[in-house]
Amino acid sequence: MLDLPGRVRPYLRRAYSVADADPESGEVEFLVRTIGPGTAGLEHLAAGSEAWLLGPLGNRFTLDGLSAGERVAVVAGGIGAAPFPLLFKALTRAGIAADFYLGGRNARDLSIASRFERVVPGEVVLATEDGSAGEKGFVTEVFRRRAERTRYARLFACGPMPMFAALATIAAALALPSQFSTEAAMGCGFGACLACVIPGVDKPFLISCTEGPILPPEKIAWERL
Amino acid sequence: MNEDRKNGGAEIPQSPRPPVPQSDPSQPLEVQLGPLRLRNPIVAASGTFGYGLEFTDFVDLSRLGGLCTKGLSLEPHAGNVPPRICETPAGMLNAIGLQNVGIGVFLREKLPRLRELNATVIANVWGDAEEDYVTVVEALEDAEGLAAIELNISCPNVEKGGMLFGNSPQATASLVGRVRAATRRPLIVKLSPNAPDLVLSARAARESGADVLSLVNTFVGMAIDPETARPRLSFGTGGLSGPAIKPLAVRMVFQVARALPGVPLMGIGGISELADVLEFLAAGATAIQVGTANFKEPGVSGRLVEELGAWCAERRTPVAKLIGRAHRGDSSSLEAGAEG
Repeated sequence: MLDLPGRVRPYLRRAYSVADADPESGEVEFLVRTIGPGTAGLEHLAAGSEAWLLGPLGNRFTLDGLSAGERVAVVAGGIGAAPFPLLFKALTRAGIAADFYLGGRNARDLSIASRFERVVPGEVVLATEDGSAGEKGFVTEVFRRRAERTRYARLFACGPMPMFAALATIAAALALPSQFSTEAAMGCGFGACLACVIPGVDKPFLISCTEGPILPPEKIAWERL
Repeated sequence: MNEDRKNGGAEIPQSPRPPVPQSDPSQPLEVQLGPLRLRNPIVAASGTFGYGLEFTDFVDLSRLGGLCTKGLSLEPHAGNVPPRICETPAGMLNAIGLQNVGIGVFLREKLPRLRELNATVIANVWGDAEEDYVTVVEALEDAEGLAAIELNISCPNVEKGGMLFGNSPQATASLVGRVRAATRRPLIVKLSPNAPDLVLSARAARESGADVLSLVNTFVGMAIDPETARPRLSFGTGGLSGPAIKPLAVRMVFQVARALPGVPLMGIGGISELADVLEFLAAGATAIQVGTANFKEPGVSGRLVEELGAWCAERRTPVAKLIGRAHRGDSSSLEAGAEG
């Protein structure tokens, strides 16, 4: 959760995925798209300014059960790519190949792609709804066509809920084990406010910040979203 | 009989209480809140502090005056479908809908750990009907390590119960009377600022046996997406909290303290800084609750205890002397303004 001192609008902290972190230098990287006053405040923060950080919070992607030489798929919608630089680093270290599918409405949504040059241990596949960059169409469809003829051991995904809903169906059809980095409006980030709930299969609601944000799609009650 | 019992004008059945001890000069932050003696006046508000255990990385719970649990019901409750919160200038709207683990899990899994941590625990309880409140309070009666019960008659985010009890003095009196008869514990009643006449509701709760009044819960509000013209919360409306409501809450504490002198009050509404604490104490609150600020700064309640301690030490003033300061001058013009 990130905040700027003394800020009352927006009032609450914001949850951001850690894009990358370097324990040696102590640097933590966040990839942020400016959409409102909160993100604008971060964008215009001068170098050396103070910010408040609470974290790391919640769970993480896991490579448990994967072996060197296997291949995984990583699917992101726009700024949903934010948590993946660190994952690609870990995959590379583990000798696991990964194809990166990045989608958006148009080429502008894909500007984040430049952050992934020389980071992905595999192919980068771009898709836009208007065809202004990469393949034309939904990234989920582009992924589905390739996944049907590629042996992926796991799917990692992050993006908006409609994208997840489509991916859940595809992953189920392919019996592809998946980890989704879910997005829900978080008030606190540590399980106190109970704002960031997602309808669950085994119980009424999953608490995204403490039980997630990484959740397996079969635990989510998509029909109640 | 204690002095404050006479103020309601009727024989009030409060919980049995020991004689009020003299304030201890070595404990300048201690306050006597009706039958409750608190280490200090800083209490974490229900619905913003989980079951306390979520905050142990940020606050030493034994340092707080107390903590109010998430509103507990007889059975686990799922709460409302998301979106449940929406930010507003200097605050937020919420319609969580009283999601909670139920008293069974609370008693088995949460309370024993809170006891180990030496926390002063106030169980906030709610129900759909009078009977539910009574059943919950009875189930808590023998639990070890509960300092008090806080009745939530003011949640605006459920279809039944909640605020419906708080918005009518008759319903308040009936419910509080039944719960009073069911418990020997100190009984706190959390009032709704949405009641048509808060002083009437406060008097009704007090005369029916409340030892302490908490004021206020959230204000019913609404936010609409300007593009889609749909409410931003799935419940439609929500409860407004945060610094935005502080002046309203201060006025209400002042007003009730003036109308019912001697009735112990806990002030709530937008408290996040030491100055806010001092303001509510001056308005007549004996203790205060920190709410929404816990989300933004999880260590805020512990910080306020430290800052209040330093403030009192510097001025060699026990905190008890800060209560009701705003009433000691001639403040009639303030009251006229509030009612005009």
